[in-house]
Amino acid sequence: MAPLLEAISIGKTYPGGTVANDGVNLSVSAGEVHAVVGENGAGKSTLMKILFGIEQPDRGEIRLDGKVVSFANPREAIDHGIGMVFQHFSLVPSFSVYENVVLGSEPRNGIKFDRREAIEKVRALSEKFRLAVDPLPPVGQLPVGQQQRVEILKALYRDARILILDEPTAVLAPQEVEELFVAVRALVAQGRTVIFIAHKLPEVLEISDRITVMRGGKTVGSVNARDVTEESLATMMVGREIALRVERAKGRGELACEVKALKLTAESGVTIAQDLNLKVHSGEILGLVGVEGNGQAELLEAIAGLRPLADGVIYLNGTSLGPKSVLERRELGLASIPEDRIARGLATGSTIAENLVATRLADKRFVRNGLLDLKAIKANALSLIERFSIRSGGPGYAAGTLSGGNMQKVVVARELSEQPKLLLVNQPTRGVDLGATQFIWKSLTDARDGGAAVLLSSADLSELLALSDRLIVFYRGKIVAAFVNSDDLTAETLGTYMLGLSSQDPESMRAALQ
Amino acid sequence: MSTTSPSRWKTIRNETGRALTALVIALAVALVVILLTSADPGAAFQTLLTAPLSSNRTMGLWIDDVAKLTLTGLAFSLVFQARQFSMGVQGQVYMGGLFAALIAMSPIGATPLAIPVAMLAAMCAGAVYGFIPGYAKARFGASEIVSSLMLNYIAILVVNYLIRAHLAPAGTGQLMTAKFPDTAIFPAILPGTRFDLGIIIALVATFAVWFLLYRTSWGLKLRLVGHNPKFAEYAGIRSSFIMVSAMTVAGAFGGLLGSVFVQGRAFGNLAQNFDGNLAFEGILIAIVARSRPLAVPVVALAYGYLRQGAQLMGIRTDVPTEMISVVQAIIILLVASSFSLPGKKLFAGLFGRKPTSAAAPEAAQ
Repeated sequence: MAPLLEAISIGKTYPGGTVANDGVNLSVSAGEVHAVVGENGAGKSTLMKILFGIEQPDRGEIRLDGKVVSFANPREAIDHGIGMVFQHFSLVPSFSVYENVVLGSEPRNGIKFDRREAIEKVRALSEKFRLAVDPLPPVGQLPVGQQQRVEILKALYRDARILILDEPTAVLAPQEVEELFVAVRALVAQGRTVIFIAHKLPEVLEISDRITVMRGGKTVGSVNARDVTEESLATMMVGREIALRVERAKGRGELACEVKALKLTAESGVTIAQDLNLKVHSGEILGLVGVEGNGQAELLEAIAGLRPLADGVIYLNGTSLGPKSVLERRELGLASIPEDRIARGLATGSTIAENLVATRLADKRFVRNGLLDLKAIKANALSLIERFSIRSGGPGYAAGTLSGGNMQKVVVARELSEQPKLLLVNQPTRGVDLGATQFIWKSLTDARDGGAAVLLSSADLSELLALSDRLIVFYRGKIVAAFVNSDDLTAETLGTYMLGLSSQDPESMRAALQ
Repeated sequence: MSTTSPSRWKTIRNETGRALTALVIALAVALVVILLTSADPGAAFQTLLTAPLSSNRTMGLWIDDVAKLTLTGLAFSLVFQARQFSMGVQGQVYMGGLFAALIAMSPIGATPLAIPVAMLAAMCAGAVYGFIPGYAKARFGASEIVSSLMLNYIAILVVNYLIRAHLAPAGTGQLMTAKFPDTAIFPAILPGTRFDLGIIIALVATFAVWFLLYRTSWGLKLRLVGHNPKFAEYAGIRSSFIMVSAMTVAGAFGGLLGSVFVQGRAFGNLAQNFDGNLAFEGILIAIVARSRPLAVPVVALAYGYLRQGAQLMGIRTDVPTEMISVVQAIIILLVASSFSLPGKKLFAGLFGRKPTSAAAPEAAQ
């Protein structure tokens, strides 16, 4: 059968010289689920942007039904029956589901917006493709998984024959992933074609028919999903054998940090989290589990001193942190790897050396009588670049010139340059390639073995299960379950608690919270 | 950092190239305007290009402009590096000028202390005037753009009123004070020209601002706040303190410019509207210099030359004075737009080369 959509020797170089695609080939047949996998920076997103008309290729051509096409913008791609669902949704939260779906191509009755027809159409579509979305409620009230399906409906409403899903599972809990897969299978069963970008290999193997692997801007190859294993796929992606395994803590030490009856509110006064009680000991990693937006990030911000406490107390080795400034908390041995390295963790316009001392400007080693000791600052940078193998042009280069993984290493290097007593970690490896992930995990467990109490939050459940000694689950701003990590604990079990589907008996929760 | 990395030289080359490109285009546009309006375009264009060098006196005018443009450029660079958009240099100039004049006209004015004391008074006045919008922003969330602009009007009108009603010699109807005593006026470096102490002050100030920004922890904190305020908060830097102090220190340099104005050989007294809106041209200087203090005098040198050339062209040739302003505005527009991102693309396209890396310009220092 002739392929439905083909990309032939696509090349794309961004201004600044980044070669994102270099001779990329992709061939998608009608009615299949075609996964595109690769590490971050492999060029998947660029390829998809080219297929959807957001970027134009420098070389190569795109063929649809055997005919050469080129899309100057997404509008033209949509007109050719290509739809795309981005990781970050573009929905109007206060509009209802059906309004969001038809927005821009509303059915009309004369000059009036025909709401009844819009609702009918959206309902019919959602039933036909087993998407199970009610057209009436405002989108802002829906959980993330439903919002994603609204995005899929938007594409289908515009008659997308080919649907590109950009890392659709990144924001979903395991149960929601299952529901998404049901919908994807329904789409394919009715003749639509799905291109699925992902980097979680078990999911890829479960859902796709064919898999194209990309590495370093090139296509490594295309394989049938049933012919490969997770290991062989990972080797194709990385180009070498990898092992992501972590040594567990040998035993925990003294109580380091205790959170008691903590309540957090947003500026508007809305409660974000309440009744938070937890303890973390030195030498252990406590994993904070939860779908994003359930209070984990805010808890970490509150401990770091970036968010006021509405009620309750936080102790670090017996000292109440409430009245302490950020700098005083850091002097007590707190370190923090924030969720977003570009927005919060770095000054990308400043040099690597400056970023590496930014939290220690009260330290006599680097600042005396208000004057910078440039030699010491440079020496510090050189030694940390070496110790954390940060690939850079040198300490005088701007942090913004580094790749994502190396930027994250700068943050990790700064926070772990001295052994912390309490380490807060949020999304340590988001958007970081496997090699750097391995390194960052090792750094975290080294800090733990050095006696740090670690609070770890991550959207990646496999990361949490790999690193944590104990895990607590957040749901709607409350701790709803706690576990001591073991091989029996699975992502699915955690998922049922993350979605509020099951509840733990107070006894076992209390036992695991100690 | 003091390390002279290869990327830094590359950045300097790129930036210089871009500024020169803009300059050439600006001159081409000026030529068109001259061709359209002048009976003798050749002579007019030659005047624009060479007049500032034609005599010691015109060189003095040029250097005097350079000194003033450098100081205002420095004041703007400081607040821009902290990512504050205070437009208050003009108000600080007037307050600084007023206090320098008050000292010069007091008994101290006749002593050798006149120059240092007046400069100090001007800097203090400017600092206070810079502090106000900073404090209002930190304490009440007032936009520094609006409050500093309003404070400019207040300063100009108050100074103008004081001159007319109280400081001008009684009964003369003049809109300026009497000449200060010689002890209170900057000595000329080249006798008979405006080439005076001002340029020395400007160069010392350049070094001082560079030192503050790149050698002190206050400067590093200031730049970190400017690059990413959320990062600064997370790192434990008190960004509101940094913000207010940056605006205060910049105000001191604005005040110093006021003293250079009134005590320089160009004036030697306090006159109404004495700055001729030069204070605002510091914005352009700071943008082109990318708020790097060491680049500020270089940019001021080039821009001051064009500015003086255009003014002399207005005096010496038949190009109408309105057109001089038009040419000046076009130069500003072109130079400034070549430093914006779409501008960069346009310029790159015009010369058929690839746009330079977007990340590179911030790489140095």
